[in-house]
Amino acid sequence: MINLNFIWFLIAIIFSSFIEARPVSYPGGLTLMLMNDTDKNSVHAHYSPTSHISLGYKFEYWRENQFTFNGIQMNNLIKRWNKPQSQANLYVKSAIGSAFSDKGKFENKNNISGFLGISTDWETQRYFIAYENRFTEAGKIDRFFMQSIHLGITPYIGNYGDLHTWIMIKATDTSGDNRGMDITPHFRFFKGIHLLEVGANLKGKAMLNYIYRY
Amino acid sequence: MKTPKLIIIILFLIFKNVEANDHKNTKYVYVNGLVCDFCARAFEKTLEKHEAVKNIEVDLKEKVITVNLNENKKLEDSVITQLVIDAGYAVREITNEKK
Repeated sequence: MINLNFIWFLIAIIFSSFIEARPVSYPGGLTLMLMNDTDKNSVHAHYSPTSHISLGYKFEYWRENQFTFNGIQMNNLIKRWNKPQSQANLYVKSAIGSAFSDKGKFENKNNISGFLGISTDWETQRYFIAYENRFTEAGKIDRFFMQSIHLGITPYIGNYGDLHTWIMIKATDTSGDNRGMDITPHFRFFKGIHLLEVGANLKGKAMLNYIYRY
Repeated sequence: MKTPKLIIIILFLIFKNVEANDHKNTKYVYVNGLVCDFCARAFEKTLEKHEAVKNIEVDLKEKVITVNLNENKKLEDSVITQLVIDAGYAVREITNEKK
């Protein structure tokens, strides 16, 4: 019997048309992402040998099931559409590593773990829209499918090096017990090689993301 | 009083010549997909690595990269186009004068 999550995953891949911010950098680019959202804390450090691929280390701590993931993540830029006033991208993200949990019945349990998903985005200097999904497999510890849509608008258009301010909202839906839809309004501040996102979901849980790209 | 007029004409011609040479040492690259600071950074990292490039200036609003070349150095448009493609973007047009 085919797993329902897997079917959702395939549907999402087929129908998704928009996505998330720059999982692949320019040739020789180093990126550090520190993400603290309402579900997890994560660190992702990657290197891009070309503008079509990035390889790096990924750490995640999922608070609900108190499980950590340590692994290698690879992101592939499948297609980019460069237009005079906009850019759109389609990426595949994948990771493999080890999951560990010390919660309840999973006391000190280790599992091979990984995830696979796609992300797509379209942005101009004024608007941003992104869609992302991923299926996560961590054996007996956890297994879930999540997808999110991310929208943004900036009240002014700055030039390179200016402080860019975005008003954004992110809606994330995660399968599984005690999970569901999470909506997080937030601000994005972008200047040069620094990107900071600050906000809180509708239940008051904080979100703080930082990206540094060199 | 022909001499001052002659001097002025000579100075004008010299100035024009210097200006023309300056233009030869600057390229204006109009790029598709240039929408954020990370994109601009990509061009700094790729174009400024080339020995012929002195520095670049990125204008996000006009979507144009000003490429200032080192003295006595040349950079073919085809090379610039390839560097922009390598950075993940597309060239719309390359000119010797800003539009």
